[in-house]
Amino acid sequence: MNWYIRRTLQALLTVYGVITFTFVLIRIMPGGPMESMRAQLIQQHQGSLTTEDMERINRIVETRVNIDPDQPLYTQYVDYVSSVLTGDLGQSTWHQAPVMDLLIERLPWTIFLMGSSITLSFALGITLGAIMAYKEGTILDVGLSSYSTFMTSVPYYVVAVLLVYFLGYQWDYFPIQGRMAPQTTPGLNYPFLAGVAYHLVLPVISVVITGMGGRALAMRGNSVRVMGDDFIRVARLRGLKPRTIAIQYVGRNALLPMYTNLMLAVGFMFGGAIILEEIFGYRGLGQLMYSSIGNRDLPLMMGCFLLITMTVVIALFIADLTYGKLDPRVQSGERHESF
Amino acid sequence: MKERLHDKSNAQQTQDPIYQVRNVSVAFDMDRGTSRVLDDIDLDIERGEILGVVGESGSGKSMFADSLLNAVVSPGQLGGEVIYNTEDGQSVDVTELTDEELRKFRWQEASMVFQGAQDSFNPTRKIRTHFVETLDAHDADIEDGMDRARELLSDLYLEPDQVLNSYPHELSGGMKQRTLIALSMLLDPEVIVMDEPTAALDLLMQQSIVRLIREIKGKYDVTIIFITHDLPLLAELADRLAVMYAFEFVEIGLTDGILEEPSHPYTRALLNSTPNIFAPVEDMTAIEGSAPDPVNVPTGCSYHPRCPMATDACVESDPGYYETNANHGVKCHYWEDVDNAIPLQVTADETRQVDVPAYGPVAMGTDRTPVLTLDDAEVHFESSQGLFAEPDAVRAVDGISLDIYENEVIALIGESGCGKTTLGKTAIGLQRPTGGSVSFRGQDIWDAKDGHGDVEIPHEAIRQSLQIIHQDPGSAINPNRTVRHTLELPLKHYNDELDMGDRQARILGMLETVGMTPPEDYADRYPHQLSGGEKQRVTLIRALLMEPDLILADEAISALDVSLRVEMMDLMLDLQEIFDTAFLFISHDFSNARYITEKSGGRIGVMYLGEIVEIGTVDEIINNPKHPYTKSLVWATPDLDETGENEDVPLRKIDIPDARNPPSGCRFHTRCPEARETCARKKPVLVGDGGNTHEVSCFRDVPNHEYWDSPELMNDEPSDETPTEK
Ligand code: SF4
Ligand code: SF4
Repeated sequence: MNWYIRRTLQALLTVYGVITFTFVLIRIMPGGPMESMRAQLIQQHQGSLTTEDMERINRIVETRVNIDPDQPLYTQYVDYVSSVLTGDLGQSTWHQAPVMDLLIERLPWTIFLMGSSITLSFALGITLGAIMAYKEGTILDVGLSSYSTFMTSVPYYVVAVLLVYFLGYQWDYFPIQGRMAPQTTPGLNYPFLAGVAYHLVLPVISVVITGMGGRALAMRGNSVRVMGDDFIRVARLRGLKPRTIAIQYVGRNALLPMYTNLMLAVGFMFGGAIILEEIFGYRGLGQLMYSSIGNRDLPLMMGCFLLITMTVVIALFIADLTYGKLDPRVQSGERHESF
Repeated sequence: MKERLHDKSNAQQTQDPIYQVRNVSVAFDMDRGTSRVLDDIDLDIERGEILGVVGESGSGKSMFADSLLNAVVSPGQLGGEVIYNTEDGQSVDVTELTDEELRKFRWQEASMVFQGAQDSFNPTRKIRTHFVETLDAHDADIEDGMDRARELLSDLYLEPDQVLNSYPHELSGGMKQRTLIALSMLLDPEVIVMDEPTAALDLLMQQSIVRLIREIKGKYDVTIIFITHDLPLLAELADRLAVMYAFEFVEIGLTDGILEEPSHPYTRALLNSTPNIFAPVEDMTAIEGSAPDPVNVPTGCSYHPRCPMATDACVESDPGYYETNANHGVKCHYWEDVDNAIPLQVTADETRQVDVPAYGPVAMGTDRTPVLTLDDAEVHFESSQGLFAEPDAVRAVDGISLDIYENEVIALIGESGCGKTTLGKTAIGLQRPTGGSVSFRGQDIWDAKDGHGDVEIPHEAIRQSLQIIHQDPGSAINPNRTVRHTLELPLKHYNDELDMGDRQARILGMLETVGMTPPEDYADRYPHQLSGGEKQRVTLIRALLMEPDLILADEAISALDVSLRVEMMDLMLDLQEIFDTAFLFISHDFSNARYITEKSGGRIGVMYLGEIVEIGTVDEIINNPKHPYTKSLVWATPDLDETGENEDVPLRKIDIPDARNPPSGCRFHTRCPEARETCARKKPVLVGDGGNTHEVSCFRDVPNHEYWDSPELMNDEPSDETPTEK
């Protein structure tokens, strides 16, 4: 079968599998989310339960998780899948609002935060790596390599906590939490945008500082390997300008393997935001997810879970489809799959 | 022009030197000491000549190439003078150029074609970009330059636009190599240094490229320095030869002079170790010992540890150049005695009497039943391309019928990608055919496996009867088992009535038979304690212990040294007689195929694009090839007597067509020099002429065929729509 069609089907199948998995989790598992939600409601309900109360509770559970326990299993299943596919992820028990609306409100903030972190850490890491490779063996290279190795082994939340403590609490340079300046109105106005950027500084720095090292080392390794290739030697003999060789020959070929890395980082961006946003009190998706766990807000947890896995699947799908455009050797993707 | 007076090498051999190399050394500082990979070289290169430089790997020949362009990679240090004389009489020392001068000098004056042409292009850029950026970097006119590029590419038998629009990986090895040659000539340089430009290509492609280099040299008037380990290649190409040993030139002279009267013991040894299709393989001898370590070159004459004529004087004093005549210099004290001391192997014509086959042709007897029968076997692999494209089928094996008789030796040859390995695997049941059938003594192998119909010979028995020896013995044996253990397994598995003692006796006996003595010692060794040849013997024993009826030897000796190959083939033949097995021997090398089939009275099959185009006894195939493709393969196999000097490439196109879209009619018609219009429409079949072993698939072998009245095929490719009649 044609590779593209196969790959697309595979992605769709994964999406479908994830949805089914959440259904199984909610419906079938004994003591699973549905059971515990019902128990929760019963607990909240003071006094003895009449049949009417029971019915009411069941109805609440049903609207919240999109599953009507009275239907036969397959109908429940079909209903669930179709409502998820039409964007209905149920009702949040804590926020008393549709899960989808909650996610959509938070989404841009997290994309903004993680997007700038990923972009910066890749851009800086790649530049640094390329410089290290060109200065291979010099003090600069050795110094930067050791620094990068060290920084890669430090978890970002440690840096994050340190930054909040010193730059936030002690010296008061940066806000310690929040995502925008108070008393500003969202929109394209300077005070709002400046406030947003100001709040972004610390979390972005903590991700970039720790994430950059790994990228730099990877880029350095790739570049050194490419520089040893025959075609670089031939290019030099052909008298090409050093700039052309650095960018079109070494850079271009060293970047290829980084692309899959980048798409992976994009795919896991929401998962990675959970702790980061919690530390900085940044009201994004990650924080929403974190609080949903604390609040035992099951529909919301499920919605977040679906969102995270979908992003991963889609990012990898895009990576596979576009890789062939970057590397002409991989035309139909036969020999390259991210996973 | 500056006059250089301290000429001490071959200056008298040249009148108008383009290069004067003086005292050139290349040294690397290593922990163990200084490594001298080029040792005080002096050499003049004449303007417009083809200088062949020959040497073993590790002799310093690539360093010599690099030093001509001052392109020695750091930390190597280039010392001495490399004087380059331009046509209008100016001299520059290439070692003293500034970076910018050097950047201009390279490619405009002297360019280089590399050993690793396969990786000489940036994989992410189109070929066209490579040409354009080179022109751009040297401020040349892009349009004129690209016109020249197109002309160069078509001179090299390539389709310019198709090649320019390709990415490097879309071209075959031979095409890439020729494209690189075109790229090297883009700026009209005076000199091209070619470092092993044909290594890793099929013989036919190598020979074709060598011809093209000669032609192109005449047309564009360049000086070529051609560096290789392959002496026969140079015999037909070079005007002068320089033989390199231990980082210096030990003999320099006109090609004819060196081939006819080699005066250095090393040159003679080199000539004697060279395979030759017409000379008996028994005479081939490898050179004893190994090339010296650059950190620790022997004192005196560096060849003395390996030289059979060495005396104390050789150890003490380094020989200078002795002139054997005005055009021939040699670094050996005793060059006058070499004729007697190291006789050259007898050359071609004198030995061309066919050995009487030891066993007589087996295939002749029609009353015998074949061990293995391929009936119209087909193996098509699918490969999909692009978004909505129909998947193409690669027809690796396309409708082959072949009988292999008891005790017969059949050698299959053909260029890489012709499907010979797939055919071999299909024959022994490792590859399921997508069409046709494969049967063992009348029992269809795959029916037996699937349990279809009446199974007369169980699948287990068939598997035991069909064995394989791989190209790389190292990967075929478990490195963690002793030889004894490796050999015991098949015996236990297939022959469980043997008791311990019998098994041991058998294994030891076999080891002894193949010359691994004392057998007890070898039995307890692990694979890493064995040499390549010994490992190959172990795999051979393992195959034989199964008491097979047919063994597939897939390039089984290609990885061995030249001298070991003969030994291994002899061993196979001896054992074949003892064990009554047939051999299917796959090789890309005509000389080996000839040796093994000639000695056993076997047959040679020639494959092209998934089909057998000619099959017959050695004598029929080598001395009387009928198919034009077989003729071109024979043409391409090295022979030192230079009879083919002025012959053109016996092909219209030198690239193998895409196996996904094979040509209509006769598959060879796109390359066949004899092709006529009929060939593009009709497909010839493999036929013999009455009870003969010789079968050919070409209309030229059919008298009164419409082919003979058909007009000659024009050079342009017939369109794909040409209907095919069967
Ligand atoms: S000089 Fe002596 S050792 Fe060297 S090649 Fe001649 S005979 Fe052999
Ligand atoms: S059939 Fe025609 S094209 Fe084919 S080999 Fe014979 S002459 Fe050449």
